[in-house]
Amino acid sequence: MRQAFSDTLIKLASEDDRIVLLTGDHGYALFDEFRQRLPNQYINAGIAEQNMVGMAAGLAKVGMRPIVYGLSAFIPVRVVEQIKIDIAHDSLPVILIGDGAGLVYSHLGTSHQSLEDIAVLRSVPNIQIYSPADRFEMRASMEKSIHSLQPTYIRMGKSDLGDIHCVMCDVTLPILIAGDSAASKTIFYATGSMVKSALLVATAICPQARVYSVPLIHPMHRSAIVDQCFDAHHVVTFEEHSVTGGLGSAICEILAEDQPKRILRIGSDHMFSKTCGSYSHLLAEHGLDALSVTEKVKVFLG
Amino acid sequence: MFDFDGNRLRKTVLEMAYAGSTVHIACAFSIIEVLAVLHQHFLRYPENMPQHPMRDYLVLSKGHGVMAQYACMRERGWLTDQDITGYFSDGSHLKGLSDSRIPGLEVTSGSLGHGFSVGLGMALGVHRQNTDQKTFVIVGDGEINEGPIWEGALFASHHALRNFVVIVDENGFQAMGKTSEVLRLGSIADKFRAFGFEAVEVDGHSMTDLNSSLTALLSSDDSRPKALIARTVKGKGVSFMENDNRWHYSRLDAATYQKAMQEIARSPA
Repeated sequence: MRQAFSDTLIKLASEDDRIVLLTGDHGYALFDEFRQRLPNQYINAGIAEQNMVGMAAGLAKVGMRPIVYGLSAFIPVRVVEQIKIDIAHDSLPVILIGDGAGLVYSHLGTSHQSLEDIAVLRSVPNIQIYSPADRFEMRASMEKSIHSLQPTYIRMGKSDLGDIHCVMCDVTLPILIAGDSAASKTIFYATGSMVKSALLVATAICPQARVYSVPLIHPMHRSAIVDQCFDAHHVVTFEEHSVTGGLGSAICEILAEDQPKRILRIGSDHMFSKTCGSYSHLLAEHGLDALSVTEKVKVFLG
Repeated sequence: MFDFDGNRLRKTVLEMAYAGSTVHIACAFSIIEVLAVLHQHFLRYPENMPQHPMRDYLVLSKGHGVMAQYACMRERGWLTDQDITGYFSDGSHLKGLSDSRIPGLEVTSGSLGHGFSVGLGMALGVHRQNTDQKTFVIVGDGEINEGPIWEGALFASHHALRNFVVIVDENGFQAMGKTSEVLRLGSIADKFRAFGFEAVEVDGHSMTDLNSSLTALLSSDDSRPKALIARTVKGKGVSFMENDNRWHYSRLDAATYQKAMQEIARSPA
């Protein structure tokens, strides 16, 4: 997925010299090729995220197309006020990339882990939020974002989990990736790194479940969700993010208002990581490993 | 074409402040001459259009002084008398802090330290587009407590953005007291020099000195970004407001409004 990010970035920037990449001194090898091929469109703004995001707004105001890269713990969380006032208020075409979302930096601790980023941004007007699950969704999210001219946050989480899709797809709607769309009364909505988990759970205990990947978290396509859940008895959401304010909340808000259903939200339940360890260790600590998730879904489905 | 007269600008500020029963009068008065000189001699608005793509950029990072800019916008014909007399009325558009949706105001500010970075991005953008557009960013001395100012100062210097001009309104006060008592700044010019700026200090109420200092900075061969430290008086122009920080927050009543207007009327042009 990171390769798709890099390739798409280079492709888009080669076609449009208004695109400038700003990084807050992050992305080491990720931008080697970009820097080599498009040195005039690369700016390392230093370890100064607030200024970098304010500058991105200024660049957009004079006709440039900034793409701002950082770790999701910093972009957007550290700079939410700059995003609100400088970018979103004027609906400027700035793309923010938050890398390493969720528990990717498992050994580094709370400062580098990011389970709040979607929640923080969803309440800011004019922002769209993508959370791609594989290279196809990543590429499509970037292309949609750049052509939308809207402020956009693209959340990049655990990126080496392999493909979900085998072709490009429409990332603006939940994408059906497993299950019979007509018959099943159980629906799984998953985003980013948790799409694979949702597929695994479905295979293990609920093979008839309809599983959707949801790359566009905000604004959520209300009528699509309502239509998809029309006959559903159980809905489960999966995300490597807080259960508050992310995918699960968005689905709950829509269904509670338009079509109440029984819903289980799988996500981090308001806790900071307690210990150090591998990514899979921390997933387990937050109850997001395959075993824990399967158990929760099994109980929920009865 | 226009005559940006300090007394007339101050009268507009008083009219607005009285009509809207608003605060921040003293914050506007300290930057009257700075704005008057910029509008009179430096800011280029082709065809007097506030959103002309080839304009220079005036960024009021110190959004609290916005009434001074409204007064200049009235002189340019960008605001009507109704905008002035209807200030703060329900459904009106001019707010108590700079708002980018108003043509003539480039940024939304008031949360301090934002305009500096946004202006820097504008300067960087037009620098890369090879235009000769200038960006003037007005910050308060209290405002430079904010960290992003210094993040941006490093960036401006590293990238030799000579088209970026920061003007510090050094009135010596911030919301709760003297800057020397809240967070001591020392020499602001020296600080900006240390960050790689070409910096000069000037009497911020002398239009002649402001004009010559800005002319010198903008014609300098030096590739460094520019900082003009304008030594000003908070509340300048009305004796009972000058250096009395209560006028950061106080509102005019009929008596203080009349008294202030009379003082301005008696001031030499």
